[in-house]
Amino acid sequence: MGQQFDAAKIGMWLFLVTEVLLFGGLFVGYGIMHARHPEAFLAAHHHLDKTMGAINTVVLLISSFTMVLAVWAAQTSKRNLCILFLLITLLCAGVFMGVKYNEYSHKFHEGLLPGKYYSHQGDTVPGQFMFFSFYFMMTGLHGIHVLLGMIVIAWILFRTIRGDFSSEYYSPVDITGLYWHLVDLIWIYVFPLMYLIS
Amino acid sequence: MEHTAEHTHPVTGPVTYAKVLGALLVLTVVTVYASYLDFGSMNTVVALLIASVKASLVALFFMHLRHDKFNAVIFLGGLLFLAIFMIWTLFDIGTRVTVLPSNLKTPVQEFPGAPLNKPVRPQTGQPLGAPAP
Repeated sequence: MGQQFDAAKIGMWLFLVTEVLLFGGLFVGYGIMHARHPEAFLAAHHHLDKTMGAINTVVLLISSFTMVLAVWAAQTSKRNLCILFLLITLLCAGVFMGVKYNEYSHKFHEGLLPGKYYSHQGDTVPGQFMFFSFYFMMTGLHGIHVLLGMIVIAWILFRTIRGDFSSEYYSPVDITGLYWHLVDLIWIYVFPLMYLIS
Repeated sequence: MEHTAEHTHPVTGPVTYAKVLGALLVLTVVTVYASYLDFGSMNTVVALLIASVKASLVALFFMHLRHDKFNAVIFLGGLLFLAIFMIWTLFDIGTRVTVLPSNLKTPVQEFPGAPLNKPVRPQTGQPLGAPAP
């Protein structure tokens, strides 16, 4: 059992490394364009709401905390606690996506869209569409990861309710936790780079 | 033979996790506060440093890497390649200079074939297309 557990975990970590490199490409692209057009990025980031970004950061950190508590509850065979913590994690993820939906619809409305779809009026600094190309690619890809995470957590919740996990066997919970923390980890970098340019 | 899960993976309690969450929330406030201060060219560096401290806390405690040396090596290996990716890109971007006669330390006389607004060789002031001496 221990060996299976370790093998599954190594597989997850290898997957997480590929995820880091996937987002790494976007971060490098962001870095290049930011270095070349600092004024455009500075001006464009003022269209983002720092408060919304900060709320989402806190919500995601709390969801990471409840996720790790769910893993702990599974480790120590506390089924009811595990269900409770998974539910809170799902709720936090839902709040995150809700705030994201709000932000996105606001930007669609203002015409703050990537590339050639950018149609915001009254800009004094040119080239702001570039910032929004990166904004939508990075937060969009991250949002897709949150959605996938919610599906997986819902499945883990179902299996926990069914009573599949105990201190003897809990690797699905543990591995889902790892994925969820990586999603949080990426947001930790996206938040200052997108919302807090100065 | 028998390795229980507890034996290979020590259980960390909720109290430790709560402390880590507290630290993460404090650092989030710090990073928002720091964005209103001006460190000149170090603004992004400060933001990334705080983010890296937060990321380390998440990786070490929430992802259990402090008890999991093998997977820590895998993860650090991934970060190493990310660092190579970023640093080599920086080398490229940072050393791309369009050399104009007006940028040279010793001013170069304008002469036919090397207009002042065309890139030149830094050593000779000859236009880029011309054969090296």
